[in-house]
Amino acid sequence: MTEAGPRRQLAGVRDEALRLKVEFAEARYAAIQHSALMLQDGRADRVGAGERAGMGVRVLVDGAWGFASTESPEPEDWLSCLSDAVAMAKVSASRLEEPVVLAQAPPVVDEVRAEFEIDPTGVPLERKLDAVRGYEEASARRAREAIANLMTGYSDSHQTEVVCNTRGAFLSSESVRTIVWHAITVQDGSVRQRARELRARQGGFELVEEMPAEELSVKAADRALSLLSAQPAPAGKLPAVFHPSIAGLLVHEALGHNAEADHVLTGQSTLAGKLGVRIGAECITVVDDATIPASWGSHRYDSEGVLAGRQVLVENGVLRGFMHSLETAGKMGVEPTGSARADGFANRPIVRMSNTMILPGEMSLEELIADIDLGILLQAGQWGYVWCEKGQYTCHAGEGHMIRNGQIAEQVRDVSISGMMLETLANALAVSRDFEMEMPGSCGKNGQSMSVNGGGPYVKVREIVVGGQA
Amino acid sequence: MSEQGLEHLLALSQTACREATRAGADFADAMAVRERGLSVEVEKNAVKSSDARAWGSVAVRAFVAGGTGWWTSSGTSPKSAREAGRQAAELAKASEPDPDFVGLVAPSSYPEVAGLYDEKIAALSASELAGWVTGNIDSAREVADGAVVAGEAAATTQEWALVNNLGVSAAQRSTSASVSVHVVVRRGDDVGSFYDWDRARLREDLEPEGIGARAAQEALKYLQSRTMETASLPVVFGPLASSALFAGVCAAASAEEVQRGRSFLGGKNGESIGSPHLTLVDDPLIPGGLASGICDGDGFPHGRITLVERGVLQTYLHSNYTAKKAGEENTGHSTRGGIAPTNIIPAVGERTAAEIVSEVADGVYVALGRPYPDSTSGQVSALVDAGFRIEKGRLTYPLKDTMVAGHMLELLQNLDAVSCDYRSEPGMVLPTVRVQGMRVASGD
Repeated sequence: MTEAGPRRQLAGVRDEALRLKVEFAEARYAAIQHSALMLQDGRADRVGAGERAGMGVRVLVDGAWGFASTESPEPEDWLSCLSDAVAMAKVSASRLEEPVVLAQAPPVVDEVRAEFEIDPTGVPLERKLDAVRGYEEASARRAREAIANLMTGYSDSHQTEVVCNTRGAFLSSESVRTIVWHAITVQDGSVRQRARELRARQGGFELVEEMPAEELSVKAADRALSLLSAQPAPAGKLPAVFHPSIAGLLVHEALGHNAEADHVLTGQSTLAGKLGVRIGAECITVVDDATIPASWGSHRYDSEGVLAGRQVLVENGVLRGFMHSLETAGKMGVEPTGSARADGFANRPIVRMSNTMILPGEMSLEELIADIDLGILLQAGQWGYVWCEKGQYTCHAGEGHMIRNGQIAEQVRDVSISGMMLETLANALAVSRDFEMEMPGSCGKNGQSMSVNGGGPYVKVREIVVGGQA
Repeated sequence: MSEQGLEHLLALSQTACREATRAGADFADAMAVRERGLSVEVEKNAVKSSDARAWGSVAVRAFVAGGTGWWTSSGTSPKSAREAGRQAAELAKASEPDPDFVGLVAPSSYPEVAGLYDEKIAALSASELAGWVTGNIDSAREVADGAVVAGEAAATTQEWALVNNLGVSAAQRSTSASVSVHVVVRRGDDVGSFYDWDRARLREDLEPEGIGARAAQEALKYLQSRTMETASLPVVFGPLASSALFAGVCAAASAEEVQRGRSFLGGKNGESIGSPHLTLVDDPLIPGGLASGICDGDGFPHGRITLVERGVLQTYLHSNYTAKKAGEENTGHSTRGGIAPTNIIPAVGERTAAEIVSEVADGVYVALGRPYPDSTSGQVSALVDAGFRIEKGRLTYPLKDTMVAGHMLELLQNLDAVSCDYRSEPGMVLPTVRVQGMRVASGD
């Protein structure tokens, strides 16, 4: 289906919703074409591709939401979907406590084209394979006989989202995304260690053309090799310095999810009632910025058709704002922030982060660690999660180093940390001027997966619980 | 959805498979899926939204000289099936030959598996689902004054058909329904919370009432949580936490992970990996089991296997590809791109969960947590999402900011008790498990 077809059909759904006099309706068409290849132990193991497209419609009837979706391209099925959504909204309305009131937003009519230099769909498969093979060979040369397994992957996607609502918004957003990654498993006797490096951008094949092996696969190989001789991390509460990747994880899991206004309004966030209140140390300023060019979490408009921007969540330790949808902004009486995003056509928009970061400071890493007699530098952020209502979070570090007498000392293996969000923010002592924003990934919430990025400076905290084995 | 629906999906799969071989594939298989579902979501003690979803897809794997190409199309039209077959074959030509590939699964008969489909679940309305979740809001708030309840009730009907060019032809129709509830209780700045659920394929196996009350009772127990000192202690994993330990064993027992050198269980087939208290059976034939079914993703008939018996690893979990590569028996665990267990049933012990806790002079009880190992290194480092300090055989105070850690092989060897009483869900046995000598890190 070309885009003209969906636009016409979406307009048909909107017009029917207007005729039915629903309070609000939003019809969204979303399509994705993707391709992926994986080289494993020297062989192109899997080559694949696929496509998915469909329409989802959300309606507000008697102050309550209903939603329905379909993969059928047929106009009559889209109209039938609208009827289903209205019926679902009536079910919701029968058990409603407080009617939904949406914030006002300018009805945008726009088209956003994807930005890229080299269209991945025009790059022959052989060229993609050659590039991936180059990464693998460089890693193999580095790790040699220690290698247990090498995996190198590449994928690209082209996504289109068209949003049409009964307030007059009608816009299409297109994005092209490219990912390249390398994972290496090395072995020494009974010790196996694995390291993975991933780069992901909104853009085309230029990501691969500009990415030397030293910054991807060789880096992964060096990390895996060094982990073979690393020791188990200690257990207990220690002074800690977070690498920017851990800072990115921390700010996403611990603070970001708590600053999503839907969590605040539904009693799930520990930040409820704290706007304007000091919640962290003076050195902590946190921003969610959807406008960073090419970054994994960026978007011009959200899935409600609202212009996205840069939100200051925490400024010098004081809570300044939340991320909003039309609904949460309506409830709180503030402007929507363009943070309502939907995972494909089969899900409703919900409040999501984009690129979330702690802003850098003035100190160097050396200055940060200079007065730590015994502590831990946590590196290679991998994953985490949070229990928002308590602010209790965990983050997993792929590796770390002990800090002894103000110096970086021996390496330690993968370890998780835990903390209570407000305690950690209050315990932050300083942030570095070095800054990285390289945590492109997928965030899960309410069964939906969303592209996000995170980062920050090195962050020094008074102490943190380290779940080590030693 | 109906028998005609399965016939339609079989025809689509055959179309896709035929198109792939016509386009040059040596071998091909195709799976067509159709699903529809209803869900009602609750936020802050009221219905947030009611949703209806329908989707379908055709996924084809094509093989040329063993090299694999795959294509997934959305929708279940003959056109999308033909496109999927043709594209998968072209991509297979671009992948590289695999000398370890020796063909697909041969046709055979499939077992009868009872209790996969229930018309009563298929016929559920959104109003009924809304009644379930709102009933749980009421029951939670009766137990805990001022509780804030979130959750969801959902029902899904799925049907799929799988064929390959050697004559495999399988089809299945199934239902499932679930209710989940998250209760938050606040007393000033103090917060207690808990999450609980129920899920089943058959209406008679589902108990949608009472989950809210149960979660609220638990949430109240977690008020006034605090940290403890860091130490090496026995850790007791309750029914909702122990399954992550068993899942960790199963993930590392994947033959794909082992053959690729990525598993801490590599080279351990036939060896002791745990204490005699550890026996795990994988049984995809349990009537009404949530992971039950007639065959795996390759079309290989499902059967019951013993994965670990009295601490000794009996086999790896195989797909058709890994079994042929290793020259071992296929266990039927392909997920078309990976390997996964089905219903994991641990052997239960002789003492009750209460007795197991009562024997612990000083330790930790994990009610909610994910003690899931890194499947390559085997290391576990996990947050106690909800748990208690055990002192003199009793749960004394709830914990916060506490982690448990160790190496999975040491944990399994130090596993010294599995309870005889357990939580039972369709296809699931969830006992209480005790592990000696885990590293516990906390804030004191």
